[in-house]
Amino acid sequence: MQQRTVTISNRLGLHARAAAQLVRRASQFTSSVHLIREDTGDEADGKSILSVLLLAAPCGTCLIIKTDGEDDERAISALAELVEHKFGEEIPDGVF
Amino acid sequence: MASSSVTRSRDLRLQGVAASPGIAIGRVLRLDERGRHQFYYIGVSAAQARMEVRRLREALEEARNQLRDIKLRLAEELGFKHSFILDAHLLMLEDLRFIQELESEIRTRRVNAEWAVRSVADRAIAVYKQVSDPYLRERTSDLEDVATRLLTILSGHDKFDLSKLDQDVIIVAKNIWPSTVAELDFGHVLGFATNTGGLTAHSAIIARSLNIPAVVGLHDVTRVAKTGNLIVVDGAAGEVILRPTKSVLKSYIQKRDNDRSNRHDDAVGSQAAETIDGVRMTLRANVELPTEIDSLALFGAEGIGLYRSEFLFLNRLPDLPGEEEQYEVYRKLADAAGEFGANIRVFDLGGDKLTLGGFETEQNPALGLRAIRLSLKVEHIFRTQLRAILRANLRGNLRVVLPLICTITELREAKRIIAEVKQELADAQIEHNAHLPIGVMIEVPAAALMADLFAREADFLSVGTNDLIQYILAVDRANENVAYLYQPLHPAILRTIGHLVRVAEAAQVPLELCGEMAADPLQAIALIGLGIRTLSLVPGSIPLVKNAIRSIEYDRVKSLMKEAMKLKSSSEVEELLVRELPQQAPRFFAAWSSRA
Repeated sequence: MQQRTVTISNRLGLHARAAAQLVRRASQFTSSVHLIREDTGDEADGKSILSVLLLAAPCGTCLIIKTDGEDDERAISALAELVEHKFGEEIPDGVF
Repeated sequence: MASSSVTRSRDLRLQGVAASPGIAIGRVLRLDERGRHQFYYIGVSAAQARMEVRRLREALEEARNQLRDIKLRLAEELGFKHSFILDAHLLMLEDLRFIQELESEIRTRRVNAEWAVRSVADRAIAVYKQVSDPYLRERTSDLEDVATRLLTILSGHDKFDLSKLDQDVIIVAKNIWPSTVAELDFGHVLGFATNTGGLTAHSAIIARSLNIPAVVGLHDVTRVAKTGNLIVVDGAAGEVILRPTKSVLKSYIQKRDNDRSNRHDDAVGSQAAETIDGVRMTLRANVELPTEIDSLALFGAEGIGLYRSEFLFLNRLPDLPGEEEQYEVYRKLADAAGEFGANIRVFDLGGDKLTLGGFETEQNPALGLRAIRLSLKVEHIFRTQLRAILRANLRGNLRVVLPLICTITELREAKRIIAEVKQELADAQIEHNAHLPIGVMIEVPAAALMADLFAREADFLSVGTNDLIQYILAVDRANENVAYLYQPLHPAILRTIGHLVRVAEAAQVPLELCGEMAADPLQAIALIGLGIRTLSLVPGSIPLVKNAIRSIEYDRVKSLMKEAMKLKSSSEVEELLVRELPQQAPRFFAAWSSRA
């Protein structure tokens, strides 16, 4: 099992688009992915968008990521990277 | 326009923000009914619960298919390759936890599928509503959009199958949701009128890319317009007329047909914007979206007079567009603009436009930290943008325009930063072109009064009439109580523009003008009469204004505006133009005489 704490640093926090990216990335791994808000202790299944959205984690929230399974090391680095890079560069012609 | 008719007729006029030009006349289809269906609790037996679970699964599948179709249509018809919000909606519909929760709601509480969807969604929305972060709180709209879609499918309320409208309609709504816009049957949508929104609203952008007239920011059009009502949407004037009287309707039908034949005049694309007596004007394009770049040649635009670079931020805050991403966009602009060149207005953020994070909400954003003030304060964003522009300027056909300049210090400060960025690029041996003319946007009275001084230190001047009118007349035209004061033909505005023309001529500095005035044929001709030679406008209106120009004699219009300058009010000026232009240029303006 892997565990890492990251800080959500994009201003809008875990809003729909960021949550969608996180869930898509988490779903690429066979390991289970759990997210825990350090301040409230609320937990979420990293592969469920509704669950992640319900964390409603604003900018500045410390998030504990836990992964467990065969590819848990790759999963945790990929997810921590995504959060640290503020959910990645976005593409210019995406209006919606 | 024709404000005198307000008191005489029963028709209801509402002033909003002109979001996409053109005139649409048709019947209202009000969309706010969506999501308002009542859903009832129905207790079910265990056997019925299994049926309800099956209904739910079918509805989920149908909803997923609908969203996939919408995504495909967006990509094919509008060229939007990415739709993050629709992706999030799709993920919700695929979310195993969400589905499990819905199913267990049906099974354990023995309720119908509709009730389960409503309860589960409401619980999730309630959690979201408690969040202190206002942006996250607003995202309940995504949950609501998904829940509404499911409920609509479950309840068989298919009367709003917007992709298969059987008659032409004008969409009236509080706001148009992204997924709704995407569903619309564009072949039958004549126009939009919405309560909320500014130029950056989805509905406004979609309307412009589809060349459908639209007025947004109407506040309460949904309260007064009912489905089936006759409505006129004047997308250039930013006005809608509800239940017009016969005479008003007749004049708008004439104007629309005139407008249409001039707007869709393919022949005019390749012709010059030249008056009968041989005076050549330059019509350039205002550009916001990447998709608009491709239409420049079609409309015969001579380059890009105004690229509103803040549109790069649209819907993606706070993740700032990086240097590479901006570079790609500016390269595309430079390629499309060719020899005519493109003016990139540096980020005009803040105020009523898109706001940047990390700053308090302001009491009075129009007079607050926005545009160049913000760029000079958050310098790294400005520098990143300048690096991208200088690198993309390989053909040497790009220019920058600085918005909301009101002191000479701001101009000097911006020029100093531009010089530093050039030096940085040169030191790092990064390929770029340092030939980058710098223009000052004249859009506050202070800049207009000091234009002679700016003309000495800037390479060109660009008049932005939308803001200039707002600041000279101290009027927020989205405020319905004072919107009548938004008078482009007010003598104070005409005098200011006349002054700028003289200053620019004396200083031998190029002068351009952009703003909605340039897209209104009557006002555009007035501007030309004042001595403006280069207008930048929404691409779809270029053929229309070009036709107007080709119908006039410059000398006569010039004398007409000399007369106009002696008048005391906007309505006197308008009356004069509406009386004289149809006589001077009947080919284009004949239909306008009936509007007096």
